[in-house]
Amino acid sequence: MSAVFEKAVPAAPTEERITFSATGSEYFRIWIVNLLLSIVTLGIYSAWAKVRRNQYFYANTKLAGSTFEYHGNPMAILKGRIAAIVLFGGYNLALRYSLPFGLVMMAVVAAVMPWLVWKSLQFSLHNSSYRGIRFGFRGSLGSAYLHYLVLPIVSVITLGFGTPFVHQRLKRYQHTESRYGGTHFSFDATVGDFYKTYAVFLGLIVAGSFALGIAAAVFGGVAAVLSGAAGASGAVFLLIIVSYAFFLCVGWALMAVLQNLIWNHTQLGTHRFKSTMTWSGLAGLYMTNTLAIIFTLGLFIPFAHVRALRYRLESTAMLVNGSLDDVVANKGDAVSAFGEGAADLAGFDLSL
Amino acid sequence: MDGGATLGTAVAGRYYDGVTSRAHRVVLRVRDGHACLEGEAERSAPLNEIRVSERSTHAPRKLTFADDTVFEPDDRRVMDALLHETGHRDSTVVGMQQSWRAVLFSLVALVVVLAVGYLFALPAGAKLVARMLPATVERQLGDGVLDVLDRQVFKPTKLPASRRAELAQAFAQLAPPEDGAPPYRLVFRRSRIGPNAFALPSGDIVLTDELVNLLEDDKAVLATLAHELGHLHERHMTRRLIQGSVVAAAITVVVGDAGSLVAGLPAMALDMHYSRDAEQEADDYAAAMLHQNGIPLAHMERLFTTLEGLEKEHGTMPAYLASHPPSAERLARLRERAR
Repeated sequence: MSAVFEKAVPAAPTEERITFSATGSEYFRIWIVNLLLSIVTLGIYSAWAKVRRNQYFYANTKLAGSTFEYHGNPMAILKGRIAAIVLFGGYNLALRYSLPFGLVMMAVVAAVMPWLVWKSLQFSLHNSSYRGIRFGFRGSLGSAYLHYLVLPIVSVITLGFGTPFVHQRLKRYQHTESRYGGTHFSFDATVGDFYKTYAVFLGLIVAGSFALGIAAAVFGGVAAVLSGAAGASGAVFLLIIVSYAFFLCVGWALMAVLQNLIWNHTQLGTHRFKSTMTWSGLAGLYMTNTLAIIFTLGLFIPFAHVRALRYRLESTAMLVNGSLDDVVANKGDAVSAFGEGAADLAGFDLSL
Repeated sequence: MDGGATLGTAVAGRYYDGVTSRAHRVVLRVRDGHACLEGEAERSAPLNEIRVSERSTHAPRKLTFADDTVFEPDDRRVMDALLHETGHRDSTVVGMQQSWRAVLFSLVALVVVLAVGYLFALPAGAKLVARMLPATVERQLGDGVLDVLDRQVFKPTKLPASRRAELAQAFAQLAPPEDGAPPYRLVFRRSRIGPNAFALPSGDIVLTDELVNLLEDDKAVLATLAHELGHLHERHMTRRLIQGSVVAAAITVVVGDAGSLVAGLPAMALDMHYSRDAEQEADDYAAAMLHQNGIPLAHMERLFTTLEGLEKEHGTMPAYLASHPPSAERLARLRERAR
């Protein structure tokens, strides 16, 4: 594959932004019709609804003049959903009624989970295509167990101090094992990069908590002197709101910075990516979405969905090095089209 | 479909051959019921072997051939014109999605289906399933719960054994209002959560010392026990479990990934309604049981007025009351019944 890319002219890469042309009002119509069908079929149709929704979103996602395509098979999604309901329903039921049985079910879920995640990564990538070429996932089952069972345990054992390391390893696994046709993605953010990012935010949280604590003492005291107990409780209430807003904003900022870190260090062959997400962008998006969903009693949900997707997609660009014409399909992908071979082997999807 | 003729519209676009990501410039025409591509790639395939992507306002409609190769038109409108000429029909669902009238109808139908399901179908269905479930299954499921509670919430009772025997015997002598009264085991405990009584799916009816002392009236204690027996008789635990699971599943389908904060609150609010229904059924059972045994309903009133006093005393509701209708309301309902 590399020979293909060596031909590429070493000129400055051209920036191709992703554009997203789905609209809230059109997705609202798709959502309502499919929701009705899903409810009256007791959830069975939801697998078909998911395919329709993904097809709509993929078809409206455009990169360098071409759109994406979703090929998921509803029957495979239905199978996945039934398995998930049996597994997690059984787990919840067991935990509610008997502790030992609940613990056994917890162990079963933990043991099966990496396999499920692995299968559904394969499924969603294999069923996505761009310019007639399918994506794929090659990671082995063994490394799925390492990344989705062993590493999370490490994160817990180290009381969270291992989390940046685990996060880096997880993203490295997901990105380096993904491919577009025969061309692999690669990932070059280091463990150090992740630790630096997490450290900055830990510092921000500690400093912020400290400042809020001092503010609480000072304002609470002043308010108590000026207007008694009522004033003090008013000040406390105000501070609770301020703290809540502060921690939410820190959370969004961390999300934006990590997203940028991850995608700015991801490559497809010789093409790089550029992510320009900002904390204020995310904060504005999530605050307005949540408020609008509450005040419209849920009718805003499809609009919120489209807005969130648009923000995520349109803050990502591809720095195309040469031409996007040279990716060659992976052997076996073309044969597996339409229900034969790999599509059915990977016929399992867990993601909602 | 127009079989023989060549249709007028020609659609410029790109063809992807599934081997490389290269875009081949081609022009699509429909001739003799075949889609024909000409230009940097040449091919022809019968229309009925080609999949057309679903209609939407902004996305171009792609053609996918049987071998997974793709034609993507440059201009959405020209493609739509050609599809119109071939007589291509959208599926019913796509037609509904594109029509505001059908969407409005679907929205109304959705609200009606959800409301009817929530208010009538789900409670009735849960009742049926709970009745069919053998009691032994329920018992086994609930086996460990009392052990957990004993470790975390309860201490051994301080009521004298004679007093416990007296209450247990008095309750055992009451005739149940309906046939098929469930077997039960009366369990006395001292608790950290104050006056309380409840039934577990295992058939254990737990009564706290605090409640016995608070009521100061043995017949009111019997009314409490009758209420809990009503919960067992009506299989309320199992029914609530079924109802709660279905409500949670429906919320997941409706809300999707809009966030747990937005999804959690309605689930709680929806469950409150079922909780109150269950309490009313248990109250009715208890009232019928007292009536059957010639015990005046005044003793049950006494239970409610005592609880009402508790509600007024504590600004916040004790655990026993949180999931129950206000005692004043239960009292009013009981008086209505007595009349």
